[in-house]
Amino acid sequence: MNAPVKAPVIGSDLKRRDAVDKLRGRTRFTVDRVQPAMLHAALCRANLPAARILRIDTRAARAMPGVRAIVTAADAPGLYGVGIADHPLFASGEVRFNGEPLAAVAAETLAQARAAAAAIEVELEPLPAVLTMADALAPGAPLVHRDWQSYEELVPGGTRGGNVAWEASVVRGDTEAAFARDDVTVVESCFRAGRQNQVAMEPRACLVSFEDGRFLIETSTQAPWSVRAATARLLGVPPSQVRVTVPAVGGGFGLKFEFALEPFAALLARAAGRPVRLANSRQDEMLTSLSRENAEIRIRSAVTADGEIVGREAVVLMDCGAYGGEQPFLTTMTAHTLGGNYRLGSVKLASRAVYTHTPPTGAFRACNGTYNTFALERHTDEICAAIGMNPVDFRRRNVIGDGSLGSTGQVFEGDVLGPMLDRMKILRDASAERRARRDSRTPDGRLPDGRLYGCATVVGTWFVFVGPSAANVNLNPDGSATLVTSGVEIGSGSMMQALPQIVADSLGIRPEDVVVRAADTDSAGYDVGVGGGRTTVSLGVAGAAACAEVRTKLLKIAGDMLEAAVEDLELGDGHVSVVGVPGMRVSIADVAQRAQAVTGPISGSGAFTGPGTAAMPGCAAGHMIEALDLPVFAVHDVEVAVDPQTGHVEVLAYRVVQDVGRAINPRAIRNQVQGGVVQGLGYALHEEVGIGPDGRILQDGLETYRLPLARDVVPVEIDLYEGAPSLGPLGAKGAGEIPILNVAAAVGCAVAGATGRRVQEIPLTPPRVLALLDGSADLTLDHIADTWSDNLLPGSRPL
Amino acid sequence: MPLEIVVNGEARTVAADPMTPLAEVLRDSLSLTGTKLACEEGFCGSCTVLLDDRPAMACLIPVALAAGRRVRTVESLAPADAALSPLQAAMESHDAVQCGMCFPGMLMSLTALFERQPAPSRAEILAALDGNICRCTGYERIVEAALSLGGETAAEISA
Amino acid sequence: MAASLADAVAALAERGAEGAPLAGATWIMRAPLRGEAHLAYVGLSGIPALRALSIGETEIGIGACVSHAHLARALAALPEARALAEAAGRSANPAIREVATVGGNLCSAAFAAADLVPALLCLDAAVELAAPGGTARLPLADFLAQRDRLPPGTVLARAIVPRPIAPGATGRSAHIRLPLRAAGDYPAAIVSLAVALDGDGRVATARLAVGSVEPVARRWTALEERLAGRPLDPDRAAGAAADLAGAFRPREGIEASGAYRLRVLPALVRRAVAAVQASS
Repeated sequence: MNAPVKAPVIGSDLKRRDAVDKLRGRTRFTVDRVQPAMLHAALCRANLPAARILRIDTRAARAMPGVRAIVTAADAPGLYGVGIADHPLFASGEVRFNGEPLAAVAAETLAQARAAAAAIEVELEPLPAVLTMADALAPGAPLVHRDWQSYEELVPGGTRGGNVAWEASVVRGDTEAAFARDDVTVVESCFRAGRQNQVAMEPRACLVSFEDGRFLIETSTQAPWSVRAATARLLGVPPSQVRVTVPAVGGGFGLKFEFALEPFAALLARAAGRPVRLANSRQDEMLTSLSRENAEIRIRSAVTADGEIVGREAVVLMDCGAYGGEQPFLTTMTAHTLGGNYRLGSVKLASRAVYTHTPPTGAFRACNGTYNTFALERHTDEICAAIGMNPVDFRRRNVIGDGSLGSTGQVFEGDVLGPMLDRMKILRDASAERRARRDSRTPDGRLPDGRLYGCATVVGTWFVFVGPSAANVNLNPDGSATLVTSGVEIGSGSMMQALPQIVADSLGIRPEDVVVRAADTDSAGYDVGVGGGRTTVSLGVAGAAACAEVRTKLLKIAGDMLEAAVEDLELGDGHVSVVGVPGMRVSIADVAQRAQAVTGPISGSGAFTGPGTAAMPGCAAGHMIEALDLPVFAVHDVEVAVDPQTGHVEVLAYRVVQDVGRAINPRAIRNQVQGGVVQGLGYALHEEVGIGPDGRILQDGLETYRLPLARDVVPVEIDLYEGAPSLGPLGAKGAGEIPILNVAAAVGCAVAGATGRRVQEIPLTPPRVLALLDGSADLTLDHIADTWSDNLLPGSRPL
Repeated sequence: MPLEIVVNGEARTVAADPMTPLAEVLRDSLSLTGTKLACEEGFCGSCTVLLDDRPAMACLIPVALAAGRRVRTVESLAPADAALSPLQAAMESHDAVQCGMCFPGMLMSLTALFERQPAPSRAEILAALDGNICRCTGYERIVEAALSLGGETAAEISA
Repeated sequence: MAASLADAVAALAERGAEGAPLAGATWIMRAPLRGEAHLAYVGLSGIPALRALSIGETEIGIGACVSHAHLARALAALPEARALAEAAGRSANPAIREVATVGGNLCSAAFAAADLVPALLCLDAAVELAAPGGTARLPLADFLAQRDRLPPGTVLARAIVPRPIAPGATGRSAHIRLPLRAAGDYPAAIVSLAVALDGDGRVATARLAVGSVEPVARRWTALEERLAGRPLDPDRAAGAAADLAGAFRPREGIEASGAYRLRVLPALVRRAVAAVQASS
């Protein structure tokens, strides 16, 4: 009799363990949670973009029915930040954006809390506001932070000055010489991209109590350890006084990578001596979400007639709003996104986070990459048009390959993008619908229904954010294992699928016998947070290391039990077996029980952090990531139809070839691709954030902030590219973040092709596309200086 | 003023201001937190319930207008220990769920559709979801799962 | 909750300016988000007469509390009322259509993108108003002009669509709305068109209404005159619309500028004429 064929755990489409309760409506997200004696909280916010605070009087509000506590700036002394500590919890002295919190109220009911918040007397004296980056960078512009020099720098190395919160730059090679060559064509392009609100369906919410001198925070976050640190810092208490636990999270997408409402609720819980719930309404979320930043990009390249890029210079402005938040860190990504994809003879890049009197921006899936890839790929198409080269051929010739230098001089390993482009050609050519559409075109490029047809293939470079992670694995006496980490399940499935699959594979047990502990900063070690496509990689490697320790202990005891050498043992099917001797085996449960008598319970711990890949010395200044430890690539292809009468863009087909290293759960990855592409279609086509003259965001709900609906999207054709080098567990790479990266680029290039117009700005809403067709003026960015080096702050230049 | 509403087959008496959104009453007074409030103005569909068997946004129904009527929420689809409904089971087996916040509403919109049209086409499924936003999935697995219950896919196979 | 129309009229008259009728509530429930306080509402949805819908030989009577979805289902087989069926069947989203009422759509003065208003205008609808002094019927356009300053106690009871569109002729109608996504939006602009052709296939009667472009929907009589007496011709109609579009004072919005609303009008007119042509 043959041994039963063991279905491999790795590469299988394991279902999600949290799906059933989510489908029954039983899952209790943070917004669904209540506690006995719980109070409700509301915030009092400023209604001007820039103002001096003359008076905040809470006396009348305190006397209102049901009010139990009111806290203000005096209660929260600390300053928070990622690169620079510039952000107080409450506006203090000065208001810097419309919607900035001034006070927080806890009361018996939400209505009472809101009424009291509205009754707080606030007297503000308006100050001149800078609402755009052009205004903020104008000579003599009012400073958003007059005391910017006094702020603590949490990460050294950035250059700052005035309304420039952070500047990072790259200089490799001599671009002046490249642009001066007489055998090159110089192509220059300007681009602008709007903000994008994450719109997690579960708004930011938390429930906090203060017990035995500690803050117990239950919250909807991606980064429990960041919440712990930020809350402690803002409240001026030791971080060990803060415990953060995280129930199921109803979507994050980067929004929940920073602290949100927790410190407000913590202060109120301590003041009132009662648990406090604070949750945003959708309107709060729309007005104060840490949206993807709006950005402006000026890029120029010197290219030879046969398509070699000998020089490239670019300046990227990122609007961080009133406080730096993630942006000082994210300036680092320009080197790898706008500076990615292609081999460059010489390159100079400046990436600047700019303060404005607007709501702060933050992290959103493929931060910085979406607009820089849009700009880079549109610029690439403009180069191709200028030198008369086929855009796919140009990309095939120039993409990064084995041994290529990145913009900061890191050496890339493996040919990945090139073969991926070849795979996309196969995928594209296999589509009969595509052929039929192309054959049906009229001589002027229209579809039979009169719409304009366009298509594009674009490439993208992204990475896995390999920060530190810790994992513990306990082997239980029933043969199951418990994985203890600070990882959070935000919806992507990493904690429900890939991680138990990795542990199960390593220990030879079923994935359903792997218990995944929900995040709790009191029980698991430090973790940067769920984001940057890192969960499967960082927690996966840490988890695999913990499993290795468990395996060693397990095999030693099993060897004694089976009287066999450890080298002759294998794990599988919930048993330890002697290789080649049928029937010589012992269940893992029995080994675990035996261990209790022999060594004590079996457990293992593992840890991970990025190896720190080298950049070329002196190339990068002000960068928090100088080189990519784990690059990830994507090739996207789209076909669109543009209605010349109304400006509507319909996506006809969408194709993705994605570098996944190794697919641990292929179906789950495909689901991430479909979802990420659709978010990207929203960014490219529908989702628009405008800021009114009073600094308030115009789109305050889902009527005007239009997310893609089922009828706006198409099934994405997906090819998972395996085999690229990866330091991830079993060769895996993060797959959840990159699917959004190239979408605006693909759509922008295709719409440019369809319309014959220079697409320089997203989102491509129908009014914007129609204006383009009607010949709207080219976008110019006069606040970015013609000479690259004129854009840098004094002292910022590398070398 | 107490109001009587038939919720998931059971007559319930609730005391609330008549203009309180039905969704709040379901969640806060009846602990039926499966009904989600995500936009509070009728554009996201997370709070979709069936009101006398028709889909309705529970965020925009003043509880007074639900008095004397039948309300079904997501909790009714597979009560107690009952197996998942075929629609829920299809969502599970297609691995359609991600964060899960939109699913209660999605399921109620689709349940309303299937109760009237047991074999809907892809176009009918998409149209039924015109008011349901999902931010995670990009919709495709949800539509596939719904189609697997006997719509176009079955027709194509038998053709 | 009023039990009869008379009760509702009396209750609203008593509440005066503080009072307001409440039907499906989908617009009113969003009042707090618009920064408006709730009023003293009188619920109309329990009044059987207001939930009635009748399709007679000479008119279609639509109670104020008839939902969009009910209206769309009832009119599905009536070609001449296609504009109204489309307006009712495609507005907002399915769950809103089951609840939002005809009366609410006609009475929400701040709702410029209401679908039913231009559809009913092109069908030459009237409304029946109940008030303490009795019941009066007035053309929809007149109602729109005065709806935000009607005396307390006035209740829109029914909308009435006369049949046929023109005496002795079979009419056709179409409702072309332009949401910015494929569906689920309020339209940036709407063109509703009702046409009756004579025996030679020429336009005997044309009524065309434009919605969502100005704050209140209205008939476009100058364009109607250009359509009359000729065969249906989508391109020529669009050309005429482009010539005449300067007559509108379009509204600016977060989602679309006034200029965009005007710019797309000729295309919507072309589609409306083509749709009527296709159904003839």
